[in-house]
Amino acid sequence: MLGRVLCLLVVVMCASAEVRFNRDIRPILSDRCFPCHGPDAANRKTALRFDVEAGAKPAIVAGDAAKSPLMQRVISTNKTLRMPPAYLGHDRLPDKEIELLRQWIDQGAQWEKHWSLIPPKRVKVPGNGVDYYVRARLEREGWKPSPETARATLIRRLSLDLTGLPPTPEEVDAFLKDSSVNAYEKQVDRLLASPRYAERMAMRWLEVARYADTNGYQTDGIRDMYRWRDWVIGAFARNMPFDRFTVEQLAGDLLPNATLDQKIATGFLRNHRTTSEGGIVPEEFRVEYVAERAETTATVWLGMTFGCARCHDHKYDPISQKDFYRLFAFFNNVPEKGQVYNFGNEEPMIKAPTTEMSRKLENLDRELADAEREWERVQPQLAKDQRKWERNKPGEWSITRGLILHLPMDGAAAPLESVEGKAGAALRFDGAKELAAGAVAGFDYLDPFSIGAWIKPEAGDGAIVTKLEDYFEAEGYGLYLIGGKLQLVITKRFTDIGLRVETESPVTPNQWQHVLAVYDGTRYATGTALYINGVEQKLKVLFDDLNYPLGNKEPLRIGAGGGKRFRGAIDEVVLYRRALTPKEALAMPVLETVPGIAAMKPERRTKAQAAKLRLAFLEESAPAALKRLEEARLARKRFYGSIPTVMVMKESPGIRDTFLLKRGAYDAPGEKVTAGVPAVLPAFGERPENRLGLAQWLTDPEHPLTARVTVNRYWQMLFGQGLVKTVEDFGSQGEWPVQMELLDWLAAEFVASGWDVKGLLKTIVMSGTYRQSSRVTPELLERDPENRLLARGARFRLPADVVRDQALAVAGLLVEKTGGPSVKPYQPPGLWQELAGGSGYKQGSGEDLYRRSLYTYWRRTVAPPSMITFDAPNRETCSVRAVRTNTPLQALNLMNDVAYVEASRALAVRGGIGEMFRIVLSREPSAAEFAALQQAHDGFLSYYRANPGEAERFLSHGESPRDKSLDAAGHAARAAVASLILNLDEAITKE
Amino acid sequence: MEFTRRHFFSRTASGLGIAALASLLPRELSAAKGLSGLPHFAPKAKRVIYLFQSGGPSQMELFDHKPKLQEMAGQEMPESVRKGQRLTTMSASQSSLPLVPSMFAFKQHGASGAWVSELLPYTAKIADQLTFVKSLHTQAINHDPAVTFLQTGAELAGRPSIGAWLAYGLGAETENLPSFVVMISPGSGGGGQPLYDRLWGSGFLPTRYQGVKFRSVGDPVLYLSNPDGFPAENRRLYLDALEKLNRAKLDDYGDPEIATRIAQYEMAFRMQSSVPELTDLSKEPPRTFELYGPDSRKPGTFSYNCLLARRLAERGVRFIQLFHRDWDHHGGLPEGLPKRCKETDQPAASLVEDLKERGMLDDTLVLWGGEFGRTVYCQGRLTKDDYGRDHHPRCFTMWMAGGGMKPGVSYGETDEFSYNVVSDPVHVHDLHATMLHTLGIDHTKLTFQYQGRHFRLTDVHGKVVKEILG
Repeated sequence: MLGRVLCLLVVVMCASAEVRFNRDIRPILSDRCFPCHGPDAANRKTALRFDVEAGAKPAIVAGDAAKSPLMQRVISTNKTLRMPPAYLGHDRLPDKEIELLRQWIDQGAQWEKHWSLIPPKRVKVPGNGVDYYVRARLEREGWKPSPETARATLIRRLSLDLTGLPPTPEEVDAFLKDSSVNAYEKQVDRLLASPRYAERMAMRWLEVARYADTNGYQTDGIRDMYRWRDWVIGAFARNMPFDRFTVEQLAGDLLPNATLDQKIATGFLRNHRTTSEGGIVPEEFRVEYVAERAETTATVWLGMTFGCARCHDHKYDPISQKDFYRLFAFFNNVPEKGQVYNFGNEEPMIKAPTTEMSRKLENLDRELADAEREWERVQPQLAKDQRKWERNKPGEWSITRGLILHLPMDGAAAPLESVEGKAGAALRFDGAKELAAGAVAGFDYLDPFSIGAWIKPEAGDGAIVTKLEDYFEAEGYGLYLIGGKLQLVITKRFTDIGLRVETESPVTPNQWQHVLAVYDGTRYATGTALYINGVEQKLKVLFDDLNYPLGNKEPLRIGAGGGKRFRGAIDEVVLYRRALTPKEALAMPVLETVPGIAAMKPERRTKAQAAKLRLAFLEESAPAALKRLEEARLARKRFYGSIPTVMVMKESPGIRDTFLLKRGAYDAPGEKVTAGVPAVLPAFGERPENRLGLAQWLTDPEHPLTARVTVNRYWQMLFGQGLVKTVEDFGSQGEWPVQMELLDWLAAEFVASGWDVKGLLKTIVMSGTYRQSSRVTPELLERDPENRLLARGARFRLPADVVRDQALAVAGLLVEKTGGPSVKPYQPPGLWQELAGGSGYKQGSGEDLYRRSLYTYWRRTVAPPSMITFDAPNRETCSVRAVRTNTPLQALNLMNDVAYVEASRALAVRGGIGEMFRIVLSREPSAAEFAALQQAHDGFLSYYRANPGEAERFLSHGESPRDKSLDAAGHAARAAVASLILNLDEAITKE
Repeated sequence: MEFTRRHFFSRTASGLGIAALASLLPRELSAAKGLSGLPHFAPKAKRVIYLFQSGGPSQMELFDHKPKLQEMAGQEMPESVRKGQRLTTMSASQSSLPLVPSMFAFKQHGASGAWVSELLPYTAKIADQLTFVKSLHTQAINHDPAVTFLQTGAELAGRPSIGAWLAYGLGAETENLPSFVVMISPGSGGGGQPLYDRLWGSGFLPTRYQGVKFRSVGDPVLYLSNPDGFPAENRRLYLDALEKLNRAKLDDYGDPEIATRIAQYEMAFRMQSSVPELTDLSKEPPRTFELYGPDSRKPGTFSYNCLLARRLAERGVRFIQLFHRDWDHHGGLPEGLPKRCKETDQPAASLVEDLKERGMLDDTLVLWGGEFGRTVYCQGRLTKDDYGRDHHPRCFTMWMAGGGMKPGVSYGETDEFSYNVVSDPVHVHDLHATMLHTLGIDHTKLTFQYQGRHFRLTDVHGKVVKEILG
C-alpha cells in the first residue's frame, strides 16, 4: 500500500521529466513480468525475458511504442492476448504504468544495469552533503526546508537518537545556555562519546542479529549469548570501523591468531534459532541453520533477498538457485548438530571469560601450579612417611568416598543361591531371578557415577546393575553384558536420546573378573570409561546423544532389568556418586588387604597393590599438600565451570560438500557446488574461499551494496525510514532510492572515512535537514505525506526499548550497568506457563527490574510483551525494517503496566507538574498545557483526599521503596499526572 | 463517550486541509475496514472459530475407523504401506513397528452414518451437522513445523497466521474488541506440547493484525485493568486531559499519527468495559452451563473457552482460535486420549449446537483438528493395555461445521491402515484455500508484498475443495 502511495508521488513529481529505466520501468517489469519472463529459468514461459536487454528485444521497437509487441500486448482489449494474462488472474496494468512504458519506448528504450549494482562514486560537494542533496531536490520541487526546530526539542531529539535516552533537565539547560557557535556540535560529540550510545546502537544490532536468550523452536530451551551481546556493545563503544565489525562477526575465528574477542564476535552467525525437538531429522534442521546464515548475511550486508533462490531461481533478481547454494557453502562447514541441546549452549562453543574472569582464572591457575609444585616437593618426605605408616600396621581400607551403595552379596537372599564369591560369598543368578536393591542411585544425566562389581558370567547376555523399566529401550541406565561385551547404557529415549558404549573385547566366561563403569556427567561418550580387572578398555561408541534429564521410579536391580537376566555369579556390587579415577579403578579389584600389602616387600607388590596402598595412605594421612592440591583443583574447576560460554563459528577439518538442494529440500541433493558469489555482483577475486574471504569481499571499498545498505539502515534509525524504504531489498522489487545521489554520497563518504560509524552519524545529525522542525503543514502533508523529500524533520514514535528506558530514566529508576547476563524485569505472571507449562518466568528483583531494555531476557516463543506490543522485532529471524503501529494495546500497556505505574510514582517525587513535564519533554509546558494538567491533578487530588486507602494502593505498585514521608494523596495525584505525561503522544515520540 | 471518525474530523480538521486528512486518514482507523475489493465474492461465513487440538489427536481412535486392524494386531507393519516414507527419529530406529488397532469402539451415527468413536459421544450426536475430512495431510512430521504450517501455511516461522491474514484482508466487525482472539487451555495434566506467540503472530504484516491472547489468569487482555487505586472515574478524567493535550499537539504539529493515538486511547478505554462485559458470565442462564458442561464455569478450561468463543462471535470478533494442549500420545494413549476427549467433546459439540440455536451457525465456520495424525504402528512398548503412536503427517481427520460447509459428509478416504490417503486427498494448503473461500476470499488474491515478493497464505498452492461446500 505504502509503496503505491510513493509510486504515485514519484510519478506525479516526475511526470514531465525523462523516463528512466531503473527508476520508472524496471519496477514495472519486475513486478508485472518477471514472474514468467524473468530470471527464473524454470518458470520462464518462452524465450522472452525482461530482466535482460537481449531477452526483451523481440518485444520492443526502440523509439516506437505503437509498433512494440510489449505495448500492444499490455493495452490489448483481447483478454487472451493481453499481458499480464487474465487467465492467471491479472488485471490490466494501471494507466500510469502503461503511460510510463510508452514514454520509455518512445524515448528510445534505454536499459540500465540495476542501480544498486553500480558502485557509488565519491563526489565532492559543498557543505554538508545531506543538506546539499536534500535542498537541491526541494528546490526542484519549489519547496523550502522547514526552519530549525526549537533548541529544547533538538536536544531531546538528538539525545534520544544517539543514546536512546532523553536529556536530563541539566543537560537541556546547559545546551540552552551555551551560546557558542559550536554548541550543538559539542552536544553531538558528548552524546557520541557516551557509553549509552553503544547500548543504543547495540540494541538495533541485536534485532538485526536475531539475538535471544532461547533457541526459538518447540520447547524453546535456553542458550547464553550475552558475551556476544557485550562484544557488540564494546565494538560500538570503541567505534569499531564497520568493515572490521563485519569481518570479525562473519569470520573472526579465521583471522590469523584470532583473539578471544574475535572468536566471540562470530556468535553473530550462531544467533539463529535451533531446535531440540525429539524426532526431528537432524540433517533437515542443520541445513536450515546453514541457509539461515546465508539469508541473514545477504539481507544484512547485501540488502538482497537470497532466500527466494533457495528453492528455485530468483523470480526478480539475477540470483540463481545455484548462487544461493554457493553462498550457502560458505556457512556449511561448521561441526554442528541439527538437534541441539535444550538446556544450554550447543557446540561449537567456547569459554568466554570477561577480562576480570580471565584475571581470576589466571590466579587460580597460578595457585594450582603452585600447589602442584608443592605436591612434587613433598614427595620424598611423603615416601618416608608412607614407609613409616606401613610399618605401623595400617588397618584395612577401601574406596568409600562418594560410595552410596555396597552390596557384599554375602548373606542369603532367597530365592537366589549363595555360592562361593570373590570376597566371601556371592549370589548366583539363574537367568530369571533378580535382586532388588531399593530406591537408590537415581542418577541423572549430568550426575557423575561409577558402578563396580565382580562377575562370573555363564552367558554372554545379561544385566549386571540397572535402574530402568524392565525392557531394553526403557528410560534410565544399566550396565550389561551384551554379546559377551560390557555395555553401559544411559537412555532418555532409546531411539534418539542417550549414550551407549561397549568394550571392544569380550569378558571371559565362567571366570571371576572385576568390571567397573565410570561416567563423569559431561553428557558425552568421551566422559565414560569401562574397566575390566582395573584395565581401561577400548570402547566402541554405539550412541552418543545424551541431552535430556532422566526419570523413572524403578528400583535398582542387580542381575536383572532392561528385559535381560544375568546368568552367573555376582559379588561386591558398589555404586559411587562420582567418577572414580583411573588409579582407583586400578586399585579396586585388589583383594589383598592393606595390612597384607603393607607387609609385602615393596618390590613384590603389583602396580595395583601399590596403588591401593598409596590411596589408603594418602586418605588416612591426609597430607596438607594434597589437601591444597585438591582444593586448588576444585576451585579452578568450579570457577572454570562458572565462566560463561558463547556459541561460535568453527570450521570442520576438510570441506563438507555442498550440493544444490532441489526445491530446497535437505534430502534432494542436485549438482555439487563450491563457495562463491553471484556473477552479477563483483568478482570474488583471489580471496580465500571461506567466510573470511566472503567478509573481505563484502567490505571491499568497491562493493556496490554493503556501504549503501548500511548507511541506509542508519538513516532509517534517525529518520524512521530508509532512503530506500525496503531496507531489506535493494533488488528489482525493492524501492528506487528516493534520493539516490544522497544515498550514494553517504555510502561513498562512509567507505572513504574508513567505515567510521560515529562519523557517519555525526554527518547526518549535524545537517540542517536533521535539525528541521517536524511540524507538518497541510501543504506538506498533501504533497509529501510520508516526508520522503525531507522538507521537514522526522517525527515518529520511539522504539519499544526507548519507550521503556526513557520512563525508567525520567523516573530516576534506571540502573546503568553495562553488560552481563540478561535480566528479567516485570512481566505479567503466567505468560510462560500458559503456553509451555513449566515453572514459568522467574521475575528478577532489585537492579534487574531497572536495567536498560537491551538486557531484558528474550524468550523467543513468548517474547517480553511490552516490547512486542510496541513493535519490537520478535528475534525469530533477522529484522532490519523498522515497523511502527499505533494500537489500543499500546495505550493499555503504557497506562497500566506496573513498570510504568511505578515509574510514574517515582517521577512524581522529582517535582511538581511543571518539573515533571520538563523532565520528560525537555521543555516548559504552555499555559494551556499546564492548566489542563493542573485541572486533572486537582481532580485526582480530591479523589485521593476522599479515598486515602486508594492513594495508598495506587502508590503500592512496583518494588522500589516509596517515600512514605510524603503526603499520600498528594503523591498519588502527582503520580497520576506523571503517568499522564508519560502517555502523551509527544512523550513517546521523537519530535 | 461516543467517538467516531466523523466526530474526530469535525473536531480536528481546523487548520488542516480536509482533503489531505481524508486521503491520509489514519491507517489504524481504516484498518478496521480491511482491503478494498474484499470480500472478492459473497461470503458464506462471516467468522471462524477454530478449535485447534494441539499435539496431534489420533485419527484411528476417534474418526478413521479401521476394523481390519483388529485381526492384524501386533503384526509388523508391511513395508508396502510405508513405502519408504520418512519416520520421526523417535521411531525410525525402533526395531519393530507392530500394528495396533484402536482400543475404543466405533459406531455409525445419524442419518449420514458417520463413524465416531465411543470416546466422543457428544460429537457423535451432532454427526449430521459435521463435515469430516479424513484425508487431510501435511508435510511436517514434528510439532513445531507442523503447527506452524497449519497456522501460517509454512513450516518455518515468519509468515502471518490465518487470523492475521483475515484481519488484514477483511478488517474488523467490531471496534470494541480485537478482530482476532486466541485462547489456550492445557490438558488436565497441565502438560502438552508448548505453544508460541508467533503461532498467532502477524509475520511480516503489521503487528496490529496479530491475534490478541485472552488469558485465563490475570487480565484477559494484557494490561487491561487500571492499576489498583486508580478507578475508572480517574481514568476518564485522565483520558479527557490526555485527549485535550494530544489534540493541542495535533493542532500545533499536524501529524496524523497523533489523531490515531487519540483514537486508540479511546478504543483502549472501550476495551476496558467491553472485555469485562464479555467475560462476565453472570447473565448466562443455567442452561448454558449445562450445555457446555461443568467446566464452563472454570476460566482456563476448554469448555470455558468454548463458551467465550460463542460470546466473542456474538460480539463481532472475526477469527477466534482455541488451542487445547496435550494430544501428543507417544505412549500411554489408552489413558491419555480419553481424558482429552472428555475435556473437549461436550464443549465442542455444544458450541456447534449453541451457535445453531442462535442462528449463527450458518455464518460461522467451526473447525476441529490437530496438526497431524498418528501412526498405525505402536511407538514404544506395546502391551496388553498400553500403547503409543508416533506423529503421522500422511493423513489425519478434521471436522468442520457451519459457515458454508456441506453437513453430514465424510470426505476422503485412507487405506486400511489409516496410513496413506487413497481418495480425495486434502492438503493443508487446500484447507486454507477452502477456509478463505467460505469467507468470500479468493486465496490467490489475498497477498502482501514483502521482500519483493507477493506472499499469500497458500503460498503458490491450494485448491478449494468444492465437494465439501454447501
